[in-house]
Amino acid sequence: MIRSDQGYFGEFGGRYVPEILLPALQELETMFNQLRDDPSFWQEYLSLCQEFSGRPTPLTPLRRLSKELGGAQIWLKREDLNHSGAHKVNNVLGQGLLVQRMGKKRVIAETGAGQHGLATAIMAARLGLQATIYMGADDIERQYSNVFWMRQLGAEVVGVETGARTLKEALDEALRDWAATVETTHYVLGTACGPAPFPELVTYFQSVISQEMKQQALEKIGRLPDEVVACVGGGSNAMGAFANFLEDDAVKLIGVEAGGRSFLPGEHSVRLLPDTGEDGIAQGYKTLFLQDDDGQLGDTHSIAAGLDYVGVSPILSHLSQTGRVIADSANDQEVVDAFKLLMKTEGIIPALESSHALAGGFKRAKQMSPDQHMVINLSGRGDKDIFNIAHAFPQPEWTEFLQREAARAQELENASKGEKS
Amino acid sequence: MIPQQHQKLQVMSHAVVGFPSLDENEKAIAGLVEAGVNLIELQVPFSDPVADGHTLVNACYDALKMGGSVKATLELAAKVTKAHPQASFILMSYLNPLYRYGLEKLFEDAAAAGIKAMIIPDMPVEQIEPWLPKLDALGIAPILMVTPNISDERVAKIAANARGFIYVVSRMGVTGKQTQWGEEFENYVARIRTHTDLPLAIGFGVRAAEDLKALTGTAEIAAFCSKYIEWQRDQGSDKAAEKMHQLLQDSGLAG
Ligand SMILES: Cc1ncc(COP(=O)(O)O)c(C=O)c1O
Repeated sequence: MIRSDQGYFGEFGGRYVPEILLPALQELETMFNQLRDDPSFWQEYLSLCQEFSGRPTPLTPLRRLSKELGGAQIWLKREDLNHSGAHKVNNVLGQGLLVQRMGKKRVIAETGAGQHGLATAIMAARLGLQATIYMGADDIERQYSNVFWMRQLGAEVVGVETGARTLKEALDEALRDWAATVETTHYVLGTACGPAPFPELVTYFQSVISQEMKQQALEKIGRLPDEVVACVGGGSNAMGAFANFLEDDAVKLIGVEAGGRSFLPGEHSVRLLPDTGEDGIAQGYKTLFLQDDDGQLGDTHSIAAGLDYVGVSPILSHLSQTGRVIADSANDQEVVDAFKLLMKTEGIIPALESSHALAGGFKRAKQMSPDQHMVINLSGRGDKDIFNIAHAFPQPEWTEFLQREAARAQELENASKGEKS
Repeated sequence: MIPQQHQKLQVMSHAVVGFPSLDENEKAIAGLVEAGVNLIELQVPFSDPVADGHTLVNACYDALKMGGSVKATLELAAKVTKAHPQASFILMSYLNPLYRYGLEKLFEDAAAAGIKAMIIPDMPVEQIEPWLPKLDALGIAPILMVTPNISDERVAKIAANARGFIYVVSRMGVTGKQTQWGEEFENYVARIRTHTDLPLAIGFGVRAAEDLKALTGTAEIAAFCSKYIEWQRDQGSDKAAEKMHQLLQDSGLAG
């Protein structure tokens, strides 16, 4: 398992935050260091995941699809079957246990696709905590169904209007809130990024994915897979899927970033490939960021809100520099094609984020032979993307439905106003 | 020109380089010096200023569109340090733009441009430490921050590495909101004083003449920044300079 050298992974990582946040990060690190070597804590975490989130998640063979592609045998690690519909909940439940031990009563979180916000709102409701979720105003529009659920769950969702109004700004805003409330509030960071100890801490909780994956592969395939593929936003599902394979040199680890519309600046979210991200220090840590010569962080694009982030896990920056993790990317069109193919051939509706891993994986699988095995980490399910998908494949039937639905909602609202007056 | 301990309270104010425009920065700084402000921060605008409140966040966002950058900051510094030798200019920046420029070259170029001190909110003391010999040789004071939740052990470490003055963050949070002064605050300042003989600057939440009066006798420097940028944003640099002049009068600090 991965361990930092005082918060660093090679040259990446560290803790570059305003002085005000340091005590909380130190407190968190001290607690994390105590707990991570305590097997009873991991047991407590696993039980919570089992009784609340449905772990272990299955390893599903894609028999029809593998045959159709004519390459490797493809398996999916079904993180989409977690409660809340994505791997994000693993991390959040783990941090929930930490919040309880620290005796804090309020949590804040940043969210892009809304999956992490939703998971945090669910955890807060379950553990009786107050939750505030920061989300870029544009992401709110893209992922409204998650916003709706977060509010129903009792969380406050704050739209962030600064800058490009996406995940990067939501993260800045969450850090600002934390600076003012650090004594009573825990910041539930949603991915393997940010100041130490977050990259390591989030990886620790997400490593439950590869712990199960490894055991399931041994049972079902009889050996370790040849390749493990995951999409890379901040990198938490990828680190979770890779963590227990890092020392198994024969297993290739592939991280697929969002190629977006093109490789022009602002049109993609690829940070690990040559001529994309460059080393920088921002948002509390050192990693590869999309940025200009003046060190201003750049704009990003992805069809999947959850991959639309300007930095990347310092652990992945390091592992891709050392060659242990192979970086790849899939563009929006390839993602939509992979999404459709999985749905039609196997009856599984993947998240658009996860469809990047599918697109990257399918491409590679075709080049492999039928006696080889690939596991793709299906980080989340696609229900939340229904509006994006409907936009991607416009259908009059859907538009008409929305119009009828809007009219019905309006009628209900008018009726309730009538009753009140 | 950075004040000595127990001198009369000095006001430190602010420019975001490129806000509202590079030309207006020069004019605004002349206005501030004219009004009697002798300590001025030149903030390199940054896309993700995590320690700043919305006033400065939005000013940074606008400044970047107007050509604000590290290079523009150094150019402005070279002009204003020459034009206003009675004032001290402090470069304020988040780490990444400086890191991209190259820290060693940045420190040298800043010194050549007449910069006397530097505030880098996301560069903790551990990261500054290896640069101290270089900074001392160049005559640049690294301004380090202390916060209400800081441990004594850490204050000691910061005091050992600080030069020029220590920036005392007056309350938990980001820039741009009001602070309550009172016994708790006085105790906090007294605690910091036990670790250092350097002058203390109070920042985050100094927004009116009452605040300056409250800080007179407690601190050597008061950072009056977000409120000034709000004046500048809403009424332009000339009017903002007038208001600054009035502020110093009202708080008994003029002349
Ligand atoms: C379903 C899903 N997959 C992947 C991601 C990307 O995040 P990470 O790279 O941290 O796994 C997200 C982020 O919101 C997500 O919702």
